Amino acid sequence: MLKKSALVTTALALTFTGLVAGCGTGGNTSNAGSNSNTQSSNGSNGGSASSSTSHTITIWDSESGTMQNMMQTATDNFNKSQKQVTAKIQFYNDNAYKQKIQIAMGANNPPDIIFSWGGGTLKTYVDAHKVVNLDSFLKANPSYKNKFFPGVWGNVTFNGHVYGVPEGAGTQPELLFYNKAIFRKYHLPVPTTWPQLLSDVKTLKANGIAPISLGARDQWPDLLWLMYLTDRIGGPSVFNNIINNKPNAWSNPAVAKAIQMIQQLIRAGGFENGYAGVSADSNEDQALLYSGKAAMLLQGSWIFPSLKSSAPQFTSQDLGWTTFPKVPGGKGNPNDLMGNISTYYSVSSSSKDISGAEEYLKDVPLNSYEIKTEIQNGVIPPVKGLAGDFKNVPDSNFLTYVYNKAEKAPVFVTGWDQLLPPSEAQTLLKDLNSVFVLKMTPQQFVKSMNAAIPKS
Amino acid sequence: MLRKTIVTTLGIIWAIVSLYPILYMVFESLRTQETYITGLPWLPPAHPYLGNFQDVLAQGFVGYFVNSAIVAIISIVMILVFSLFAAYAIVRLDGWFSSRAFTLFLAGLAIPIQAAIIPLYILIDKMGFYDTLWAIILPSVAFALPLSILILVNFIRDVPKELYEAMSIDGVGTFGLLFRLVLPLSRPAMMAVGIYNFVQIWNNFLFPLVLTSNPKLQTLPLALQHFEGQYTMNVPAIMAAVILSAVPLIIAYIIGRKQLLAGMTAGFSR
Amino acid sequence: MPRKKRTQRIAILLLAPSLILFIVFGIVPMLGAVYLSLVNWNGIGHQTFVGLSNWVQFVKDSSAWHSILLTFEVMILTWVIQTPLSLMVGIYLAGKQRHRSWMGVIYFLPLLFSSVAVGLLWSYILDPNFGLVNTLLNAIHLKFLAANWLGSTRPGLVLWTLVAIVSWQYIPFHSLLYQAGRKQIADSLYEAARIDGVTFWKEFWFITLPQLKYTVVTSTVLMLTGSLTFFDLIYILTDGGPNEETNVLAVNMYNTAFNKSMIGYGSVFAVVIAIIGIILSIVMTKFTGFRKLESQSEGV
Repeated sequence: MLKKSALVTTALALTFTGLVAGCGTGGNTSNAGSNSNTQSSNGSNGGSASSSTSHTITIWDSESGTMQNMMQTATDNFNKSQKQVTAKIQFYNDNAYKQKIQIAMGANNPPDIIFSWGGGTLKTYVDAHKVVNLDSFLKANPSYKNKFFPGVWGNVTFNGHVYGVPEGAGTQPELLFYNKAIFRKYHLPVPTTWPQLLSDVKTLKANGIAPISLGARDQWPDLLWLMYLTDRIGGPSVFNNIINNKPNAWSNPAVAKAIQMIQQLIRAGGFENGYAGVSADSNEDQALLYSGKAAMLLQGSWIFPSLKSSAPQFTSQDLGWTTFPKVPGGKGNPNDLMGNISTYYSVSSSSKDISGAEEYLKDVPLNSYEIKTEIQNGVIPPVKGLAGDFKNVPDSNFLTYVYNKAEKAPVFVTGWDQLLPPSEAQTLLKDLNSVFVLKMTPQQFVKSMNAAIPKS
Repeated sequence: MLRKTIVTTLGIIWAIVSLYPILYMVFESLRTQETYITGLPWLPPAHPYLGNFQDVLAQGFVGYFVNSAIVAIISIVMILVFSLFAAYAIVRLDGWFSSRAFTLFLAGLAIPIQAAIIPLYILIDKMGFYDTLWAIILPSVAFALPLSILILVNFIRDVPKELYEAMSIDGVGTFGLLFRLVLPLSRPAMMAVGIYNFVQIWNNFLFPLVLTSNPKLQTLPLALQHFEGQYTMNVPAIMAAVILSAVPLIIAYIIGRKQLLAGMTAGFSR
Repeated sequence: MPRKKRTQRIAILLLAPSLILFIVFGIVPMLGAVYLSLVNWNGIGHQTFVGLSNWVQFVKDSSAWHSILLTFEVMILTWVIQTPLSLMVGIYLAGKQRHRSWMGVIYFLPLLFSSVAVGLLWSYILDPNFGLVNTLLNAIHLKFLAANWLGSTRPGLVLWTLVAIVSWQYIPFHSLLYQAGRKQIADSLYEAARIDGVTFWKEFWFITLPQLKYTVVTSTVLMLTGSLTFFDLIYILTDGGPNEETNVLAVNMYNTAFNKSMIGYGSVFAVVIAIIGIILSIVMTKFTGFRKLESQSEGV
């Protein structure tokens, strides 16, 4: 009986494999065709399906809240300003967007303008010829190109060609936030060096205060510690070798040293009780800081608005911020920053109106309206020469500090999990998760990560 | 008497276990961003704040709601009708075809939808259903069928043979038996299947996300996204959105409870 | 025999809508996944046919075996916890007292929320510093019971926590099945027993449970296959952590296919999940006599 049923299943399988295999090879054929920029999409992506003219372009984006409203307004203004192109912008949250874009790209149905974080994911699009080279567009518009922080282009440049432009999101470096009231109470210096941080940890611990808040359940907060320590110890070249897939790049002693220092901090009780079960995505790490249970928090500047709405009084009076401490003898510049310098827009090579999409890129992201709105909302555009504009806005001392640090940072590195190829990035997050619960040694980490480097 | 007290006590304890986390969600939705983490978690907020609900309603909640209702209702009708037919055929019209069909459905219980989503997307696109509500409805029905059929087979099978025979002698045919005997007797099971699938489809996120893209076709679960950023989220607003999307289900349940209970007690309690 | 032929034809007619929908939108995509398990594909570029090499990699992958083991652990734990509780609740709700129907409304509530919502909710309830559970335990001086529910490396604790949440969410559904099953048992069986003065437990063991045998099988098949594909809640609460302690097959599959962009290798996980599910459901229904389709319930 079981055999017979298996037979039926196989028969059905054979009948339908034809159809499925058809789908698969269909994907292949169109990939081969997409080398040329004029490949026609098969007509059912969001933009071209909803309009019979070729002048509608679709943008998929991943922004929320006030940024979403701003981008919608800017897009509406663009549509009113001219008659050739109608832009439609749609928003999805982070995780939803990642899944949606991946499936749409795989099936050759992407929107005309694609949002990305640059780095490894964008490189997979570039390798598959799914996005167009924007060199000539930038050459034709030099003043457009020059208005941004020079550091934005690194994440979208591959083999000397540029494949993306800033999308409009603000620059968000990661900083060491601290609770001034706690530091006053115990007469502690704000740590500028690693040994000072360890000695603060000791004092705080002895007084029953969690020295540092960490939301390790979400995994990415662990990475901030590794990124900063590696840079402070070994300088930017360590990660440059990693991102360029140099064999055994993770064996640079700076990496093992950084992991070792992290584990030393953990053993010294540096993080709050239960840090492995605390979530940063749901703001639990911030709550520890403003409720006075923890003294410090290494986080992105993006937490400022939510700190302000959760704890307005604390944020205006007792919130302090500084850069990540120096490591004595380290090669890195203490002004190097980690964080998000920018997110990006790229143009799909299957777009039916590439020049219309480029028109949108030139006119909309970070135009004067967006810059003005962002400054009012406490967002820092990755645009040069705005230091003065932050003087008369709410929270001007925080914003001016962040802007100046970001504009002058010698090196500004985006999250490694965004820059590395997806598979290596995922291994990194999983391994760090084990490192932070002391279930993996520095040597094991280095070995596992070396094995995850893509072989060319 | 002692037994009755124990049973009632256990019943109340289970009610608390079921209800309290949901009350907690209601409390959270009534807090401001300022107090939602650090307030006393087991008590309702002293000054309930309704702003989260206003925020959610301002995000076009009604439009999402209508789409969700269309998708869920059409899907449920299809699921109930098709799975009843199929289950009846499997139980009563036993033969090689029914038997193999049943095996196939049993095999389908463990298809992980996340894995099938890429081929499904390609299929829906090729068939021209992409970006229509059918793109959500048809796969939702397909993935609900194995479970529904298994449950209904279980219940229809337990309809005593004597009842069929009695009616057959009166000259009732195959379809007569289905509508006049099996349908009324399997109402409790149909209720269980209907409720479960309705809730699953109402809350499904993956199908509407991947298989549609027109904002006018978005369903309620997609609305939750408005309150989640990349690194932070507005938790009280998310809780408010979750409660609002469950309210229609709760109201429908309370209104329909009488009919439901009638269905539940149909059975054989003669 | 013409009558048999006619029966066959009606059977085909009645099964057709379900079969067509299920094959087109269920089986075909799954066969698509089988095909994808034979290619290397990052989801964007070229697909390269690699035969069984993804499968060979799977067999050698210690994290995959760890996931299989964890998945079986989850399966067994959810079954052991949910089955007795669902049976008790279902039988309780099948009683005729009026207040029980109101209790039914309350018991049913956890089923109304999506796994995403349930995940977020419990994430707050279980926060080690501010969460309801630990704050409450501290307040009533039971601090020693407080734990890091979602981040502890104490073996098994996080897994048990997840199983408890899954049970909280799904017991309402399974008790609904048992409630309906209990309603279907003829009252005459109990009346006869009551005349003989049978105790409640004997009544349960000798009448209710045997009569519910196939409902138990149904519910078990659904629990086992359900816990195989169970994904959203674990993904939100722990994403397989800490230190891979909750990295069940479905979570591993999702991370491999979508976050690592290894669609081909991720599809192997998917096919393995489906194969385990097929074996379980077919074996279970075979060995319990579930497939004997004539009525098993006794007399009217």
